[in-house]
Amino acid sequence: MPLAPIDWLIIAVYLTGCIIAGVWMKRYVRSVEDFAVAGREMDINLGVASLAATELGIVTVMYTAQAGFEHGPAGAIPGVLGFLAMLLVGLTGFVIVPLRNAGVITIPELFEKRFGTRVRWLAGLVVILGGVLNMGIFLRLGGDFLVHVTGLPATYTIGGVEVRCLELMMTGLLCIVLVYTALGGMLSVLITDYLQFLVMGLGLVITSVLVLWNTGWTEFISGVWNAFESGTELVQASPAAGEPGKAVTMKHPFNPFESHGVWWVVWQAMLWVAVMTTWQTTIARVLSAKDATTAKKVYRRTSFYFVGRFALPGLWGAAAFLYFASHGGLGSELDSLTAMPAYLRHVVPTGLIGIVLAAMLAAEMSTDSGYLLTWATVIYNDLISPCLPRPLSSKGKLLTVRLLVVAIGIFLVIYGLWYELPGSAWDYLAVTGNIYLASLFALLVGALYWRAANSWGALAAIVLGAVGPITFLVVNAVVPKESQIPAEWAGLAAFIMAFGGLVIGSYLARALGRGYSGPVGKHKA
Amino acid sequence: MTLLDTLFQWFWTAMIFGSIAWYAVLLLYVGYHGGREILQMTKDLSEPSRKEPGDR
Repeated sequence: MPLAPIDWLIIAVYLTGCIIAGVWMKRYVRSVEDFAVAGREMDINLGVASLAATELGIVTVMYTAQAGFEHGPAGAIPGVLGFLAMLLVGLTGFVIVPLRNAGVITIPELFEKRFGTRVRWLAGLVVILGGVLNMGIFLRLGGDFLVHVTGLPATYTIGGVEVRCLELMMTGLLCIVLVYTALGGMLSVLITDYLQFLVMGLGLVITSVLVLWNTGWTEFISGVWNAFESGTELVQASPAAGEPGKAVTMKHPFNPFESHGVWWVVWQAMLWVAVMTTWQTTIARVLSAKDATTAKKVYRRTSFYFVGRFALPGLWGAAAFLYFASHGGLGSELDSLTAMPAYLRHVVPTGLIGIVLAAMLAAEMSTDSGYLLTWATVIYNDLISPCLPRPLSSKGKLLTVRLLVVAIGIFLVIYGLWYELPGSAWDYLAVTGNIYLASLFALLVGALYWRAANSWGALAAIVLGAVGPITFLVVNAVVPKESQIPAEWAGLAAFIMAFGGLVIGSYLARALGRGYSGPVGKHKA
Repeated sequence: MTLLDTLFQWFWTAMIFGSIAWYAVLLLYVGYHGGREILQMTKDLSEPSRKEPGDR
C-alpha cells in the first residue's frame, strides 16, 4: 500500500511531539546524575514504559520476525526465557537490589569499590566494545524495514545527484534522536520513551490483529506445520550478482528444542539471566529508579512484555513466510530479514500504515536514545573520568557526555553502512552482547556474593569472557559459511571461561598473596 | 503431530494471544499512570529546594 497524506501527517505529528518533549526536558538537567540517571526520580510505570520501549527497536522487530520466518512460533523461545529471567530477578532482587543500593551510575563503577580502578577501566572498555558493536547494525536493519514497508526505491536521483534513501532516512532519524538525547539525557529519554511506548504498543497490537485477521489463526497453525512437514523452500535474494540465493525452509514451528537445538536454548537461558542483571541499558533503569523496591516492581511488570517482543513480530515473520510461499516466492530482492516488512506493505491498509510506521519509528528512536546515552555515560564515567588528574567542572562533565553521545552517533552511521552480517541478526546481537555479558555477569556475581573474589580473578574473567565472542566475530568474518563457529558454542564458551577465570584467578592470587579485594555488599554511596 | 508438538502448539497460542492482550492492558494502564508520574517527576525536579545531586 502506498503512503497517503494522512500517513505522512501521523508520522510528522509524532516526530514533532518527540522533539518538543525531548528538548523541553533540558531545563531540568543540572548535573551528570540528572543527565545519566534522571536524578534517580523514576517511578514504576515510567520505568515500565522506558524499559519496554528501549528494549524494543526496529532491529528487535526485524530479528524476531526473521526468527519467526525461519522457526515459526518456536522462534519466540528467547522471549519466553527473557520473561522468566526478568520475573525471577524481579521477584528475588538478585544482583539488582545490591546494585541499586550501591548508588553507582554504571556497573563498572561498582567494580572499582570491589576490585580496584584497573578492573573498572577494563570492564568499561569491554562494555563499550560489546555495546557499541551490538548497536552497530541497528540503523541498517531499521532502514531496511522502513524502505521495504514504504516501498521507497533504494536510490533517488535529484538534479543529477544520486541519493540513497535508506542512509538518508536513518541519518535524519538519528539526528533527531541525537538532538534530544544530547540535550536532556535520561530525562529526555524517559519522556520520549513514554510517548514511544504508547505509539509503539498501539502499532504492535494493530499490526498483530491485522496479520491474524488476514491469515486466520487455524490457517496459520496448519500452514506453518505443513510448510515444515513438506520442506517448503523459499529462495532468498542473492547477496552478490551472479551467485545463487540461499534457500530457507521452515524449521520445527512449535518445539524449540528441535527447532533450535538443546544447546542453543541452554545458551539463551544463561544469556537472558546475564542480560537482566548486566545489560547496561536495562540496568540504567534500575539505577534511575527511586529505590530498589521500585526497580524490582519495574522488572516484574515489564517481564511478560518480553514474550510479545519476540512472539508478535515472530507471528508477522511466520505469516510472511506463508504469504510468499503462496505468492510465487521471495523474488530477487527479498530475504528472511526483509520479507516481513515487504509483507506488511500488502496487509496494512492506508491510514493504518502511518500508525505502524510511527510505531516503528518510535521503537527505533527509543532504543537508539537509550543506547546512545548509556554507552556515552560509560565512556565518560569509567574510561575518561578515572584517567583525569582532577575532576572536570559540572559544565565540563555535561559537555563531555553530550559530545560523546554525538560521537557514538557518527560512528553508528559509518559502521552501519559497511558491516555485512555474518549470519542471523539475532546471533550477531547475542554474540556481540556476549563479549561483555559473560564476563560482567561473572564479575557482578563475584563482586556481590563471593567473598573470595579478587582483582586477579576479575581481570581473568574479563579477558577470557571476551575471547569466545571476539573469536566468533573474527573467524566467521573470514572463513566460508560451512566452517563457521556456531553462535551457541561461542556464547557458552564465554560463560564457562569467564566463571573459570574468576575462580582460578582469585584462588591463584590468594595462593600468591596478591590481588585486591574490597568489602562485599557494603557499597552504599 | 506428537502429543508434545500439540502441547507446544497450545503453549504458543496462549503466548501470542496473551501478549496481544497484555500489550493492550499495559498501553492503557501505563499510559494513564505513567503520565501522572511524569507530572510528579517534573514537579519534583523543579523544586527550588531540591539539593544539588552529587556530581560525579
